[in-house]
Amino acid sequence: MSHQPRSYGLQTPGTKGVAGVKRYGMVIDLRKCIGCMSCMVACKAEFGIPMGVWRTWVKVADKGTYPNTKRTFMPRMCNHCDYPVCVRNCPTQATYKHKDGFVLQRYNRCIGCRTCMVACPYNARHLIPAKRTDEKLPKLVVDKCTLCIHRVKKGVVPACVQACVGGARIFGDMNDPESEVSKLAAKENLTVLKPELGTSPSVSYIGGDWEMMDESHSYTNRTEQLKDEFNTFKENHEGDAFGDLVEGQPTMAQVGKNFMGFCRTIPHKAKDVIDAYINLYFR
Amino acid sequence: MNESVVISNVFHHVAWGTTISVYFWLVGASAGSFVISSFGWVFGIKRYKPLALTASVTAISMLMLVPILLIWDLGKPLRFIYLMLPSYWHATGPMSWGSVLIMTYPIAMIVYSFFVVKNNIFWARTIGIISIVLALSTHWYTGVVMELNPGRILNHTALAPILFLTGAFISGIALLVWVLAIRNKFVPAEKKVEWVLIEEMSQFMMFGLVFDAFLLFLEFMQGLYGSQAEVMGHHVLMTVFQGPYLWLEIVTGLIIPFGILVSPLRKTKSGILVACFCVAIGVYGMRIWWVLGGQYLQTFY
Repeated sequence: MSHQPRSYGLQTPGTKGVAGVKRYGMVIDLRKCIGCMSCMVACKAEFGIPMGVWRTWVKVADKGTYPNTKRTFMPRMCNHCDYPVCVRNCPTQATYKHKDGFVLQRYNRCIGCRTCMVACPYNARHLIPAKRTDEKLPKLVVDKCTLCIHRVKKGVVPACVQACVGGARIFGDMNDPESEVSKLAAKENLTVLKPELGTSPSVSYIGGDWEMMDESHSYTNRTEQLKDEFNTFKENHEGDAFGDLVEGQPTMAQVGKNFMGFCRTIPHKAKDVIDAYINLYFR
Repeated sequence: MNESVVISNVFHHVAWGTTISVYFWLVGASAGSFVISSFGWVFGIKRYKPLALTASVTAISMLMLVPILLIWDLGKPLRFIYLMLPSYWHATGPMSWGSVLIMTYPIAMIVYSFFVVKNNIFWARTIGIISIVLALSTHWYTGVVMELNPGRILNHTALAPILFLTGAFISGIALLVWVLAIRNKFVPAEKKVEWVLIEEMSQFMMFGLVFDAFLLFLEFMQGLYGSQAEVMGHHVLMTVFQGPYLWLEIVTGLIIPFGILVSPLRKTKSGILVACFCVAIGVYGMRIWWVLGGQYLQTFY
């Protein structure tokens, strides 16, 4: 099949298989993943990601019936798509596709409208909460995995790859036939998440379980305990998410509660706006 | 049992919440009201001229609330200005188109209302034509901004803008009927809008309800016979979103008002007012499941 470059706004045309052009990506060998969550911790530590949001995370599932059971893990992150929907839909050019394959976010351009979060089919984006330990770091703008471009440019692998004890995460230039990821791609069967969307992800999996990769499975096949945990998380969450619904409670009452939550944030945001104005012109 | 059971995962928040659903309702009601306003001055149906100003003022009032919701819903409210700066504007982003529409539409309506007050037929008609295009486009955009997300299976349908426009038409009429009924209480007899006109509008609303039900049926069929994700989306609507989808939109917003508007109650003032109230909140039910439901399933992914 011939390569059909297409470009949406700020992204470079697709670079999959184009010689002489870098396309950094990752292969995650699920056979080697032991579910230690080191990648999550390393990422949190590298970027000071606040509580309640993640740039990378690991889904865990149990399969089979005792004694024939198996625990499976599914590390997730931004797929750094060749044709990212988030880039296409961003109204302020805050997110863009780097020529080397990274999908990046510019905090200074982001207005926090969350269009990219709605657009992303992989849930790979999050809004940074208003409360952060370090007040100088960006708040209330959308954040995402950068594939540690700051490390890669210095010749170091991303933090999650370095922290992976099982060597399950392999990083490299997918267009370089000599790279480890290319060799794996040539040798193994690779699968990607939601291939039907045509986003051409740069993150591929070896040994991917179709159920773990399926969107509706995560909803239908949750344990009751996980459902309760999500409900507790939603009930106790403070922040700019006015659409979360606690399962089992009346929807319309929650819609009203969410709207009141929105109204309560207005004075806080107004104070921030006034402070910013004073800082800009009077200090 | 060979199926795997998810025992641990992270939870992702719904990005666009209740605020956006209220915004969609307001823009829709505004567009619907404006369509009625244009009947007299743009489409030349003279008996609708007396209610043109009330309808356009209602449309403007609805739209005036929108910036409050949209700007304060942003993570960085002051940066809303970026949407208007050419150096930031992104041509491929649906929200970029929406920001242009949402800024020009109220201005066009205000200018139109000015010429209606001045009784300037030529300019009221000219600006009215522009305004009607902007009104429909602004609400078309609300459907499109959710539709152009291929990952959101419930929203990713080409029917979305038509569903939104139909909802806008019926909710706009419903709101306007209430505004006119209240207005009639306070104005002198010669300035009252004839009840026959309101009855006629409620019949337009009934045809809108039938078309809306047809579109919903198409979506329903897609949910029943669709892909696994579409079937799951439909399941979520019938369980988690049963309140806004089944009870609010279908029962309260479609079945009850339709029943009223085909029965002898359609000739009574209270019947029409009850039908209009039901339609207005029913359309809001649709906005809720459309915005929240489309994102709900993926929060667990």
